[in-house]
Amino acid sequence: MDEHKLSRRAALKIGAGAAALAGLPWMNSSAFAADELRAGIAGFNVINTLDPAKASLVPEFLVIYGAFNGLLKFNEKMEIVPDLAESYTVVDPTTTEFKLRKGVKFHDGGEMTAEDVKFSIERLMDEKFASPNRGKVTAISAVTVVDPYTVRITTKAPYAPLLNYLTNTRTGTQIVSRKAVEAAGAEGFGRKPVGTGAFMVKDWKSNESVDMVAFDGYFGGKPAIRSVKIPIIAEESSGMTAILGNQIDLTSTAPFADVPGLEKRTAEVTVLKQPGLNTRYFALNVKKAPFDDVHFRRAVSMAFDRNVLVKAAIFGEGVAIPGVLPPSLWPEGKGFTSEYTTFNPAKAKEEMAKSKYGAGTEATVIIWGSNWWRRTGEIMVGMVNQTLGTKFQLQAMEFNAAFAKAKAGDYDALVFGWLGLVDADEYLGEILGSKGFRNIQGYSSPKMDALLEKARSEMDPAKRRQVYREADMLAIEDMPVLPCFCSNVHNLVRPNVKGFSQLPYSNFADQFAKMTVG
Amino acid sequence: MARAISIGRVSSRLGGVALLALLGSATVFFVMRAGQGDPAIAVLGDQATPEAIAAFHKKWMLDDPLVIQFWRWLSSAVMGDFGLSMTVAGGTPIMGLIGSRLPNTLFIGAYALVIAVSVSLFAGTISALRHGKFTDTAATSIAVLGISMPDFWLSYVLVYGLALGLGVFPSYGFTPPAQSLTGALYSGFLPALAIAAPMAAAFTRILRTALLETLYRDHVRVARSLGYRDAFVFIHFVLRNALIPYVTVIGLQIRYLLGGTVVVERIFGIPGVGALMVDAAFGRDYPLVQACALTFLLSVLLVNFVVDLICAALNPRQN
Repeated sequence: MDEHKLSRRAALKIGAGAAALAGLPWMNSSAFAADELRAGIAGFNVINTLDPAKASLVPEFLVIYGAFNGLLKFNEKMEIVPDLAESYTVVDPTTTEFKLRKGVKFHDGGEMTAEDVKFSIERLMDEKFASPNRGKVTAISAVTVVDPYTVRITTKAPYAPLLNYLTNTRTGTQIVSRKAVEAAGAEGFGRKPVGTGAFMVKDWKSNESVDMVAFDGYFGGKPAIRSVKIPIIAEESSGMTAILGNQIDLTSTAPFADVPGLEKRTAEVTVLKQPGLNTRYFALNVKKAPFDDVHFRRAVSMAFDRNVLVKAAIFGEGVAIPGVLPPSLWPEGKGFTSEYTTFNPAKAKEEMAKSKYGAGTEATVIIWGSNWWRRTGEIMVGMVNQTLGTKFQLQAMEFNAAFAKAKAGDYDALVFGWLGLVDADEYLGEILGSKGFRNIQGYSSPKMDALLEKARSEMDPAKRRQVYREADMLAIEDMPVLPCFCSNVHNLVRPNVKGFSQLPYSNFADQFAKMTVG
Repeated sequence: MARAISIGRVSSRLGGVALLALLGSATVFFVMRAGQGDPAIAVLGDQATPEAIAAFHKKWMLDDPLVIQFWRWLSSAVMGDFGLSMTVAGGTPIMGLIGSRLPNTLFIGAYALVIAVSVSLFAGTISALRHGKFTDTAATSIAVLGISMPDFWLSYVLVYGLALGLGVFPSYGFTPPAQSLTGALYSGFLPALAIAAPMAAAFTRILRTALLETLYRDHVRVARSLGYRDAFVFIHFVLRNALIPYVTVIGLQIRYLLGGTVVVERIFGIPGVGALMVDAAFGRDYPLVQACALTFLLSVLLVNFVVDLICAALNPRQN
């Protein structure tokens, strides 16, 4: 009995010590100011550069949108409107003239003039600079300064995507300060960017956070929010718990699986969502058995149900699409379906009978990334094997390895997709054009290339969309990719935060200027 | 105690550390390179042109034979120069990156260890002394639960329960100890607890077993019969003997602690070496992975060394 008494005392001492330790800092140190926005980039972990001409990753642009401006931008209806330009005129099919806003200041106090515009675009065009976005401007033949506030962009041939590519999106054409770039050098500018945007990059800790402060010289007026903390949150679900726990005010994404649950927690968080500008598909290696046979590709396409994918893989947060283009780029008012991308087991078997391959055919489908990407692959492989009696297998890896394999042409099929692309040519031209850099399928069709060329030079938007519909139909016919769905874009916002307008290309920091934190 | 560790023993120990560090680095280096992937993709993204990728490879001399690349890395690493980060923090010196993050990882690790040791001393002692009674059963059952829970799962359970449910702790984010010690203790509590729980469970079990084994040994009975007070007997004759296996197990578990930080840092957004290493591995930031792995390796070896010293001090017969 004595033994217990003492042990209890000893134990109590230890217990008290532990409790004191845990209880010591019993106050919340994360007090925040009312004019500070905490905007988490969730689901991404790496920002390499904040130089728009060098940037290529989604999170890099999420920040760049707020520190820079393009000549043009998209308004809330996704119409192109002037930004740094005051107005623009199409002089002739190959020349567009931009009148610049006067008195626009860079973060370093210098004025933005036609020279900076010329410099920014020519820098992107420079082969030696090796910008990942160079492809967007290769059609440009000259950038001419007419006077300090007028600049002309001339293309080699009529080039329809030009205006889309000059907006503040993932195209790298944001205007940089010539003086600042020359002073800092290419590497230095990427870490200390100088733009015209409403917010300046104050501090950036690799893989941790970016801190921005309001730029009072912003041409759109002083922002109400004085500073922005942008934690880079690698796990999408941690982004969600962070906003639910009031550690952040806004997220760049939300996990599909949690959206239905989050939509019920209206007191804590508002879910913003809309169909996104993105496309999700299976890339097929058409140079390698078994996907070198068009009939087999079509058979596989008809052997799985895209609506099941939407329901089960992304929890209804998207829409099945018959072609590669997302619905918002379709000719207006015209939805379409195609027999080759509709689930039909009987037809699928019929089509397989025409091919070189039959039941028991083996292929490896590579899956990678977050859960929903993997589920997309799992469901597709399951349904196809069940319908056709094939022996498809899954191979899971992470993105870097999967993409390296894809680039080397060392794969059969691979779940894939792109987001944040604004022009139809970025989808069809770059995914299916024989020289398109997103073409990992090895697909090459003179007919497709001719259609894409025609669409690029078609300056009438309505007619241009019609040409892309033709190209989309041809893609379905040849089936170098199995189109699946287009997913919603999401942002989570705390109720006290106002003024964030979500755009389908996954925008972010471009909205900070007109936001308030209550 | 000081005499117990001869110079010869220390130097042979250091030689072993150097050899293990070399072998470990070489393993990490060649395994990383054997896998698929390309740092150029991590930096230049999916839109990269072949020319841009070639330029990147040239800049980082990635086309050289692997052995030469390893030699180049090794010869500067020996001089304490780990080079620059390739992708994760492109162009930033790695020493600075690790230097700024290591305190956070060590803090969380030490915090978790303190929690695990405190809890296990308490629970282990109680359940040994109340052997077979309800308290013992409860403590042992909780210990089994603790061992079976993976840290990533436990992390989210803690977030949902203590952060989102009760609103007591922050659900995300970390105040570095250099900025505010109380802030670090507060914001680091859930991540430290997530790492500590399975360790605390393992420690409790070993302490309970060791105490029970010692409790009924002859020397304890003799000590008691000599009229020493129970507290004295327990601390000097029971606990002290039981501490040897206990400390040894703590030493063995340290590697799990480091493994735990890798996962937990990512979930809670703690800027530590573990999260850095995961990002570096995904981005194929070869020199950074090397440096992080070496940091972990040296930490484990160092801790094992310290544990050996403690055990030697506890058990003079070992010398």
